[in-house]
Amino acid sequence: MDWRKVWVVARHEYLTNVRRAGFIIMTAAVPALGILVLLFGAFFAGQARQLGAFFERQFEVGDEPIGVVDETGYFSPILPEYQGNFVLYGGEEEAKAALLDGKVSSVLMIGEDYLETGRVVVMSTGSGFGAAALSDSDRVRAFFVDHLLAGRVDPVLRERAAAPLDVEPRVLSSGGETRGEGGWGFAFTFIIPYFLAFFLIMTIFVSSGYLLQSVAEEKESRVIEIVVSSVRPVELMAGKVAGLGVLGLTQIVVWSLSVWGFSGGAVLLLAATGAASIPARVLALGVVYYMLGYVLYAIMMAGVGALGTTMRESQQLAGIFSFFAAVPYMLSGFLFTNPNMLIARILSFFPLTAPTMMMMRLPLAEVPWVDVAGSIAVLLLSIPAALWVGAKLFRVGLLIYDKRPTLKEIGGILRGGG
Amino acid sequence: MVIQVQDLMKRYGDVVAVDGLSFEVERGEMFGLLGPNGAGKTTTIRVIMDIIRPDEGRVMVLGQPPGQAKAQVGYLPEERGLYRNLKVLDTLVYLAELKGVPRPTARERAMHLLERVELEEWASRKVKDLSRGMQQRLQFVASLVHDPEILFLDEPFQGLDPVNVERIKDLMAELHREGKTIVLSTHQMNLVEALCDRILLIDEGQVVLYGPLAEIKRQYAPHAVRVRAPHIPLDLPGVVGVEPDDGAFNLALAEGARPQEVLRALLDRRVEIQAFEVAPVPLEDIFVAAVSGEEAEGRR
Repeated sequence: MDWRKVWVVARHEYLTNVRRAGFIIMTAAVPALGILVLLFGAFFAGQARQLGAFFERQFEVGDEPIGVVDETGYFSPILPEYQGNFVLYGGEEEAKAALLDGKVSSVLMIGEDYLETGRVVVMSTGSGFGAAALSDSDRVRAFFVDHLLAGRVDPVLRERAAAPLDVEPRVLSSGGETRGEGGWGFAFTFIIPYFLAFFLIMTIFVSSGYLLQSVAEEKESRVIEIVVSSVRPVELMAGKVAGLGVLGLTQIVVWSLSVWGFSGGAVLLLAATGAASIPARVLALGVVYYMLGYVLYAIMMAGVGALGTTMRESQQLAGIFSFFAAVPYMLSGFLFTNPNMLIARILSFFPLTAPTMMMMRLPLAEVPWVDVAGSIAVLLLSIPAALWVGAKLFRVGLLIYDKRPTLKEIGGILRGGG
Repeated sequence: MVIQVQDLMKRYGDVVAVDGLSFEVERGEMFGLLGPNGAGKTTTIRVIMDIIRPDEGRVMVLGQPPGQAKAQVGYLPEERGLYRNLKVLDTLVYLAELKGVPRPTARERAMHLLERVELEEWASRKVKDLSRGMQQRLQFVASLVHDPEILFLDEPFQGLDPVNVERIKDLMAELHREGKTIVLSTHQMNLVEALCDRILLIDEGQVVLYGPLAEIKRQYAPHAVRVRAPHIPLDLPGVVGVEPDDGAFNLALAEGARPQEVLRALLDRRVEIQAFEVAPVPLEDIFVAAVSGEEAEGRR
């Protein structure tokens, strides 16, 4: 292997592709999205309560008082703490008039049979959405519970009945430690690394996509014939994998820097939550799977890309690999509830799904060490095998212009020299 | 000897592309590699270029295995193309670097070659902006940019207009004078006749004709003379047949008869001779005859 030539190819691939409009757009557009997601995550993790409240307010019906027509007597008079938000009306007509005048946002009509049936008629102007939201509002619930129980139970019990539980999640891992920040923040400790893993996986595909494109273009334009008369196919392949791998890293660095730059003060918050929510083990393993995954996919894409006679045909052929890599995403709904389910564990030992599957599982839960060691071993063994197959296909495929080789011919290529 | 090929064998599945081929190319010569489509020319060249590996046989380029001589060999493939979105100069520099030329030297040489084919003003334009003829000239200099000792040209005149054919021919002649070894593979026999010192004609992967062009032509020359004159007497001694041909006559000679005797007989009869020559045989006819298996025995 002539490393100088590998370097020349790598530099050429990098410089050519870094100027591509597609690359620039992708690199510039994704951070915008990433910033949103990450800032969101950072914000939520640090200020879960305020944000929870903020979200609740979004679903509240508004600050205008709500009219009440009470035929049961439980709600008359309105308790002092609710008097600003609720207005009692003597009858239906009076309440309707107030509603139409805009004095109240809606009217709760509590009939005589309320205690037996729970039936409350909600009148509002505009869409029915207000009425639906009202029934889900904590403020309205508290209003009912407090009035029903006022004077009958002690105030502490009354308050608990109005807000029966405030969840503080904790996850027990084998190390015995627990993690938990409560509410939304807790969810985002998973979501940040999950999205980071997602971005890393994206760059794997972006980079290996460029690799596929670069091989197919050289083949389609026939310049490949001159190139392989100057460098060995394995040097060409190594140069492409290295150059486009660095291109993928460039994208990640640009993304990370832009997040850092844009977030300004929030970066501290981000670092705090980020570091807290991504244990060092997950980060380190993430990098390992990233590298192994990229190298494996890149080699496969190069080998298979070389078989197609046009860019389109190469893409179709390489689609098989993208499908395998996407399988863990199809399972992500289940993965969230049980990252260590059997199918996930099995797919972690299959080379084509292992990198993405493990990158998704790692942030979600404590993954058994057998799975970690096993999947890394599988990848380490598959890479030389892929290199052997990929280089052979690459060498022969590069010079087949007229038609795509059949499976039988591919078998022949692998058995013979080429 | 700059190239030695010995018992070269290459199969693709059940198809034998090259079947025990042996030949040599000498330093500084213009060597013609000929053969019909599918004869194994491109496969042979690809083996010498180390693009594919032979199944059997031995190939040496400048005394080394092909893989180690890449920097000294230039190649203009039949299947042509360049990086369409790359700039002209960058393309040449990259291709030179792939051959191991340092970047500054590559730039210098590339500019020099662009001037030589009158493309220097296009150096910073993209390849796709060039006309077809310009692209072909660029492709030609791309095979020279690393200053190789041996140059393989596979159908270099394919698709070129007459002006560009002349340009490339001149450039080839210049390179030949500079002492470069050129292996020319083409169908255009007139160009081979005009340019090559020695030829190798292959068919179905095997040698059909191999040696100095002049000798081969002599071997295949028909036993006839070509005379341009108003008329030809029918009873000339040693002449067994007269055929009019495009304002002249082809005179087939009897075995043992010599052209000089025929000329003397014509002068004795006071025939007004405008031209007299030993009938030439176009390389094309030799090619067709050799490939179709006719030994052209009757014409010897």
